[in-house]
Amino acid sequence: MAEYKAVRVEAGRGGWGGPLTIKPTADRPLVYSVTGGGIHPVAQRIADLTGGEAFDGFKSSAPFDKIAVAVIDCGGTARVGVYPMKKVPTVDVHATSPAGPLAMFIKEDIFVSGVGPDNVKEA
Amino acid sequence: MTPPPQTRYSTTVTAVGEQVAEFVDHGLLIWFAEGAPEELHFFSVLHRPTVTTGGVRPGDTVRIDDRAYRVTAVGEVANDNMVNLGHMDLKANGEVEPPLPGDICLEELPLSEPRPGTTLVIEGEADEAVP
Repeated sequence: MAEYKAVRVEAGRGGWGGPLTIKPTADRPLVYSVTGGGIHPVAQRIADLTGGEAFDGFKSSAPFDKIAVAVIDCGGTARVGVYPMKKVPTVDVHATSPAGPLAMFIKEDIFVSGVGPDNVKEA
Repeated sequence: MTPPPQTRYSTTVTAVGEQVAEFVDHGLLIWFAEGAPEELHFFSVLHRPTVTTGGVRPGDTVRIDDRAYRVTAVGEVANDNMVNLGHMDLKANGEVEPPLPGDICLEELPLSEPRPGTTLVIEGEADEAVP
């Protein structure tokens, strides 16, 4: 059985929301990267520090109840709301604020933005 | 002499999510290339691109079937999203400053709901034409 550690993810420059504490579990092991160009460095860092499994959402699909955190590179309209709506903690590497058709689901306790690798620290 | 327009993006719709009609009424079309995670399908126009050059900028033309829309603003991450993921947030709101970094804003004309087979082509002046 893997041992998981917690990380604290803070908003970066111009970002919004958080901080979030992310700790994968045996039931929710996935650090789900829904980003262009494969696993994003922020997702990789969260996976490295927590012991979670980095997972490329554009290569294959994962059930929501396996996802510890979703890392997105959303420009503010679509992906920002989908994962919070499903109660999945969400990290946007771009500095977005609640907006778009699903803005109502985007809250500080489930969403943080403007996040770079330096904003992910051991908790 | 004006060089011929350059195709920045060209694609054909393969499926349309159940919530797309509602977004169309609000002047919004969200696009993702086929292969996007399933949780994004319900609000997305899914498509299979053939040209993914990118470089969309204000003044370009977006053609959806036989309708043409002038691009009024392009957010700073919109081209990356389009080239990497086939993802576009088209907003027919006439904004000249993109409200969100992923936005591609179009002149404020009615949108219609795409169907499988609908084509989208984005054209603009070739780079050589820019002073």
